Amino acid sequence: MRASARFRTRSAAAVAFAAATALVLAGCSGGNSATKDDEGAAAGSLVIDTAFSIETADPGHTYDPTGNMLAKALYETLVDFEGSDVSTPVPGLATWTENDAATEFTFTLEDGRVFSDGSPITADDVVYSLTRVQGMAEAKPNFLLNGITIEAVDEQTVRFTTETPLLQLPAILANPALGIVNAGVAQANGGSGDADDSAQSFLDGESAGSGPFVLDSLDLTSQIVLTKNEKYNGDEESAYDRVVIRNVTESATQLINLQGGDSMVALDLNGDQVEGLGDGFTVDSVPSGQTIFLLLNQSADIAGELANVKIAEAIRYGLDYDALLELAGAGATQATGVIPTGFEGALEDGVAQDLERAKAALAESGYAGQKLTLQFPNDYPVGGVEFTPLAERIQDQLAGIGLDVELAPAPFATELDAYVNGTEGFGLWFWGPDYADSANFLPFAPGLKVGLRAGWAADANPEIAGLAATAASATDPETRTADFTAFAEAMQADGPFVPLIVPGRNIATADTVAGAVYNSVWDVDIAEITPAG
Amino acid sequence: MSTAAPTTRRRPAGSPLAGFLLRRLGTSILLMVGVTIVTFALTNLVPGDPVSAALGEGASQNPATREAFIREHGLDQPAVAQYFLYMGNLLQGDLGRSIVTGRPVSADLATAVPATLEIAVCAIVVSLALSILLGTLAAYRRGLVTDQIVRVVTLVGLSIPTFWLALLCFSFFFLQLGIAPGSGRISPAITPPPTITGLYTVDYLLNGDPVGFLDALAHLALPVLVLSLVTTGLLTRFIRTAVLEVLSSDYVRAARAKGLSGARVVFDYVLRGAALPILTVTGVAFGALLSGTVLVESVFAWPGLGTYAYNAAANLDLSAIMGVGLVVGLVYLVINLIVDLLYGVLDPRVRLA
Repeated sequence: MRASARFRTRSAAAVAFAAATALVLAGCSGGNSATKDDEGAAAGSLVIDTAFSIETADPGHTYDPTGNMLAKALYETLVDFEGSDVSTPVPGLATWTENDAATEFTFTLEDGRVFSDGSPITADDVVYSLTRVQGMAEAKPNFLLNGITIEAVDEQTVRFTTETPLLQLPAILANPALGIVNAGVAQANGGSGDADDSAQSFLDGESAGSGPFVLDSLDLTSQIVLTKNEKYNGDEESAYDRVVIRNVTESATQLINLQGGDSMVALDLNGDQVEGLGDGFTVDSVPSGQTIFLLLNQSADIAGELANVKIAEAIRYGLDYDALLELAGAGATQATGVIPTGFEGALEDGVAQDLERAKAALAESGYAGQKLTLQFPNDYPVGGVEFTPLAERIQDQLAGIGLDVELAPAPFATELDAYVNGTEGFGLWFWGPDYADSANFLPFAPGLKVGLRAGWAADANPEIAGLAATAASATDPETRTADFTAFAEAMQADGPFVPLIVPGRNIATADTVAGAVYNSVWDVDIAEITPAG
Repeated sequence: MSTAAPTTRRRPAGSPLAGFLLRRLGTSILLMVGVTIVTFALTNLVPGDPVSAALGEGASQNPATREAFIREHGLDQPAVAQYFLYMGNLLQGDLGRSIVTGRPVSADLATAVPATLEIAVCAIVVSLALSILLGTLAAYRRGLVTDQIVRVVTLVGLSIPTFWLALLCFSFFFLQLGIAPGSGRISPAITPPPTITGLYTVDYLLNGDPVGFLDALAHLALPVLVLSLVTTGLLTRFIRTAVLEVLSSDYVRAARAKGLSGARVVFDYVLRGAALPILTVTGVAFGALLSGTVLVESVFAWPGLGTYAYNAAANLDLSAIMGVGLVVGLVYLVINLIVDLLYGVLDPRVRLA
């Protein structure tokens, strides 16, 4: 009893001591700098909620949506796009001309532009930044500049020479991964520009660009803080001194934060959530650049006697696309072909359900009641579209034309292998552009990347392979559109793919801000967001 | 084994506590080695291609890049050699590099673990206090209305989906009532504290920043509330049973018969008597809290161990998955050790040997 009394006394003393310490410490002078130093600036901060998909703030390694958005804010590219229009490249840091063969492009830098440390942007910085991406073999955007020679002509001029005609080069150069880095700063911090380049760790802590913002802090798990680039002298000056980009993986939490006034912009709300937002909010709902499609393998080893495009045709005409779209929400549209709407050469109308044609094609395909196993990732929604209910509806609809479909969901990381290695007989996947140009959709052609994943070799359809090659090497912008359209039409008639849905992208903002529009390359240009009114 | 053992065995030099600690440390090291073997084996059994996951679509299709990556990470070695390579690095404090964040896994864990620890410690303290109160009350009022109410409350706490409860609480307290802050560890306008312990509330205090401290404390409240509601359900039921057992013991009857006050009987006899089982279940509950906060972390955008583990698994980030496995294994070992030590403190009859 005595012991317990002592214990109680000691406990009480410990609690009192802890409380007193806390009070004394809390009462000490000091306070949080952001709140205390400048209430006005803090109140003027812009807060953006998004589910992080980012590995670095080094533009040379950037290859994911959040990373692109960040790189766009910190670094400028030679070429730009305005708002959500990705069909027409416009001058960024430079203007350009090209030769008739579309193999030589000359870029002239805008006069007087400076990096965030005040030093001028020169052709050497451009050559350094872009050859650095070419030199870092493990960098994810490394492939963007394959086969291109980049050289400085004079202090303000850079020449690009390509091995084959490359009309899409300006669009490629708008990719935030090709942002121009202050060469001197990067080189002083390990930026050797080859496989041993180690500037990434420096650039994850401090930016060295000429964009409207500089990096204040980067925490890849929770938040990124940007501050205004005081030396910025371009035409996209930010209206905010401070921007906080927060990692909020749950879209429901993004919704509550936005409604409660804790954030001003939410990038990942699904269709149902934006429809229920109500007054006081603005939503920019547009089709994204992604396409969700079905793949029917053409390799006899994988698909056996069903390795022919007739089975794809049967499915193409057997589906009720309006019913599938119900699962996709605001902003989503039916895919009109392998090239999504908004890109050069996209078809105007998608396929309409035609059950008779579907059944006829099915009979021609050699289908005799075999079970088709539909493989898909079940933990990776694309633009708010969950693949499991989509696959279930497809299964149900195909039963209507007599096709027996079995579902085989798997985690993304597991299923990706089967898709990439071309071992899926029947798959549900998605494809998005690496840069804003229709050339990104040519890989669906026979013998190219996605075509090969469907077991579709180059000699399986030489005509479509030829159409893709013609579009890829077009030198005349006028005929180029027609080349892409011809490719898209041929794919829709005889390809092993069934394009289904272009998911919507919803950028929801509080009415206190304006200018947040979706761009398929960098999601949102943060500098374009301004206080409303 | 030896028949002479009881008479010839020498007591270890030094205090019994030191001997006990040494033995436990040895066992713990062996167990940790076991954890590394199991984690390594399971991680390597996961289907999927870590090279493609690490390099991305573009770079992974370049055979030279692919080969260089495989060589650099020892993936061309047999599994046993890979394990020893991993252990060699581990002993030097190198847990590998995360392919998701690009940072050393140890650096990632150094921020994720304290974030989870902060809510888990607060949640276990709150739920322990609540469940001792509720459990004791229910046991004393066995079969009466109070007991029924506690039973219903704990049943709800146990069966309610954590994710849903978290969203409901967040929406109600933040959006409807406006008395809780938004998601995350701190408000967007607040600067994180210089890292000392990684626990924001503590670090703000140590830096003499009351504004930051109060903000971090406010952000802690809801995740702690949700986690403790769930844990309270489990603990209360257990404590009720433990208290009931003690209440029927002779020494409690004797104490009551002597006419000691109710409070004194509760604190000096009943709770002390039930302390050991309570301690055991609290240890288990705390381990579960630390490794199972993923849903709460997800709703409250809390950058802790659960979120890190989920991202690691979703991205086939093998080094990170193994790092999380080690941390969770280590946590359980430490908790068990602490529980065993406290056994001795709470009950002198429990011999350290």
